[in-house]
Amino acid sequence: MPKTQVSLLVVAACLLPSGCGGGGGGPDGSPVATRPSGPVNVDLEAAPPERLSSYNLFTWDPATGFSFNDRVVPYDVNTALFSDYALKQRAIYLPDGATASFDPEQPFDLPVGAAIVKTFYYPADFRTPSEHLTLIETRLLVRHADGWHPLPYIWDAEQHDAVLSPAGEVRAVSFIDAAGAAQTANYLVPQRNECQSCHAEQDTPDSPIELVVIGVKARHLNRSYDYGGKVGARNQLDRLTELGMLTGAPAAATVPAAYDFRPIEAGGLGALSPPQIEAAARSYLDINCAHCHNPHGVQGMTSQLFLNHDSTDAFHLGVCKRPGSAGAGNGGLTFDIVPGDPDSSILYFRTDTTMVGAMMPLLSRSLTHGRGAELIRAWIAAMPALACTAPPLLP
Amino acid sequence: MPRLTMFVLGAGFIAGCGDNLAPSNFPTIDCTKVNATHCVEVHGGDSAGLLTVANSIDANTTIVLGAGTFAMTNQLTLRTTGAHLIGQGVDLTTLDFGPTTTQGNGVDAVGDDFLIQDLTVRDAAKDGIRVEASKGVVFRRIHATWSKPSDPNNGGYGIYPVKSQNVLVEGSSAENASDAGLYVGQCQHVIVRNNTVTGNVAGLEIENTEYADVYGNTAEDNTGGIVVFDLPGNPIVGRDVRLRDNFIRNNNHANFASGGTVAGIPSGTGTFAMASRRVEITGNTYQNNNTGDIALISGLALEPDVTKWTLPMAMLSGTYTDLGLLPGGAPNTIMNFRGENIVVAHNKHMGSGTMPDAFDPLHIGQLLILAYQGHPVDNVLYDAIGESEFDSTDATKNTNVNHMCVGGNPGGTFASLALALQSATSQVPFFRPAAPFAPFDCTALAGGPVADVILP
Repeated sequence: MPKTQVSLLVVAACLLPSGCGGGGGGPDGSPVATRPSGPVNVDLEAAPPERLSSYNLFTWDPATGFSFNDRVVPYDVNTALFSDYALKQRAIYLPDGATASFDPEQPFDLPVGAAIVKTFYYPADFRTPSEHLTLIETRLLVRHADGWHPLPYIWDAEQHDAVLSPAGEVRAVSFIDAAGAAQTANYLVPQRNECQSCHAEQDTPDSPIELVVIGVKARHLNRSYDYGGKVGARNQLDRLTELGMLTGAPAAATVPAAYDFRPIEAGGLGALSPPQIEAAARSYLDINCAHCHNPHGVQGMTSQLFLNHDSTDAFHLGVCKRPGSAGAGNGGLTFDIVPGDPDSSILYFRTDTTMVGAMMPLLSRSLTHGRGAELIRAWIAAMPALACTAPPLLP
Repeated sequence: MPRLTMFVLGAGFIAGCGDNLAPSNFPTIDCTKVNATHCVEVHGGDSAGLLTVANSIDANTTIVLGAGTFAMTNQLTLRTTGAHLIGQGVDLTTLDFGPTTTQGNGVDAVGDDFLIQDLTVRDAAKDGIRVEASKGVVFRRIHATWSKPSDPNNGGYGIYPVKSQNVLVEGSSAENASDAGLYVGQCQHVIVRNNTVTGNVAGLEIENTEYADVYGNTAEDNTGGIVVFDLPGNPIVGRDVRLRDNFIRNNNHANFASGGTVAGIPSGTGTFAMASRRVEITGNTYQNNNTGDIALISGLALEPDVTKWTLPMAMLSGTYTDLGLLPGGAPNTIMNFRGENIVVAHNKHMGSGTMPDAFDPLHIGQLLILAYQGHPVDNVLYDAIGESEFDSTDATKNTNVNHMCVGGNPGGTFASLALALQSATSQVPFFRPAAPFAPFDCTALAGGPVADVILP
């Protein structure tokens, strides 16, 4: 599955005049995408436009795919948030002359006027992932002087444009999965306020809540991306630096990278070594859980379960920790993680179950992510067994 | 987005707009009766309109919901300062989350100066109304419920302010929650009054909360009635909690929690205070709680590992330095497992302790059955964990280092259980002094009484 997105992009990029250096038509007569004409239009003074096309960030054509405007750079992440198997086309836009500044750990500091663009879509059949695509939604995060503003756009039935939809939507989405099985997701287009379920942090419980970006961090971006054409495959950090859009980045080879989940998605855990399982699981938890479950997450603070990749305290990582207020989400179990025993671990239960009210992550999932749950299971199973102290004092 | 344009025009326009609707849809309140910077009316049943409004409003907007049932397909999320959500009354306006197929709570709010009033929230997947990280929170005349009684798949908490400050919950009711009906967690400065909780596992919980006044409430037919406790690892050390003048009766509901801390509550529990300090339990009426009325217990009864109760002082919020908390093993840490400095006084006890839960997972009920042999369990039980001396008969050989004060509660009976000495195979007789229960005959908290909670 992960490779599907890459291959789609390669296909799309090579069909683009910009990508392949072509002129008025594809070399084999195939259709050619039309790049957006004129500059990007992110107007911080105006009310958000009704239609996504007003931003002029990219065009979409079922035959030719995505085509991005100048200063709109597509990117991908090493391990992605699971969103009911939706494919995602991400891009970052920086205004003319503006740059992002590198940070080894925190999200890059992006200038006012910047935008993060993320389009969620499905192929009809994941075995032919670049065909018969349906765009569901495009989420924008626009950087204003007072912080990030989230804006959800839902694609119209004709797939011509997307419309500002603050209420979001829950939609049954059917597709054939990579194994050829029919699946139907209760796909959630989050309502605008739900963006803060994931994109909100505060320094302390008394601090103001701020919206943050999640994926635009060195460890997530530190990977190769095939830009097509003369550029070809390049490290994303290096490429942003070359384009003059990122300052302060050291050579990508010296920057930590999150684990690349794609081989696991495509082929399972296979013969991964214990350190690889550990690294993959921590990257998976980091991107899928730690947007809330970190010491600055508005809701993560409440739970005291911290799954960020650099969380080292065993208790806060969930080892023999009783959940604070999981309600029915505990699945009849007592501890978040019982080392060596995934079936007794709430963390695995909540990753695997599809019970509404119990499953995690809170948003974006109605199906079980098979490979993800498999990974969490293997990670807990590989921990040295430890019997968490059970109540009571009375035998 | 025509709706957005409409809101910013303000109350006057909206009121005019409301006149076009059937007047009977806003029989109790409409925007003409609301004093707010902005006000929007949403016709009863217009769930799509409600979601659009909730996600488009400016700060300080009151949303008035018309009479009717809103079939909600997703949680109602509010992230605006000064968001007020007002219905026509619990019997007239219902947010029904039964149709929701996604994860989520019923109403999920973060934002200072939040108010929710006069409506019912039904069948939320997770919590009925969760308000988090907010300063200034009011729940008034709210009914939070699940349609199916005793279903472990019901949402966890009905009315759930968490990590918030200056919280008022009044005139509300919560029923059938699989964890706690009304759950105040990690909050500071709280008044909970004149509410009713029924059919929940825990009726009313005050958890890791400081400065809470809980009075005039009725807890009936829950597994446990009104409980106060700290859990390990949370950044607020619970303190200064006053339970007074509540009715706590018939809390004999079978425990239907799917797991978690409340799964350990024996059916038939009136009140327990666990890992709590500076708690006053006064003037309440306890009746027909089959296991017992009041238990004062250490956090170690739940979580015996003291390291889990260790809190770095750097992570703590609120006031704790005057509490004389135990130091943790590492520098600049404290531990909060101890139950201490509690006053129980002037409560009425009637008919409780006659049939302890024989199947509770912590085996407390079984211990009581063995110990009391069919006689009623004493009204106030103390686990005596942390006492340096225990003797079953000689008062002078019992210590009260935890300053548990039941001297003012002559209407009830008392026993010290020496829980740490008990096992299934060998029991030590309890210490059961007559009133005034020396050495537990003190009547006042060390450090002075719990002060009134004054909300701004």
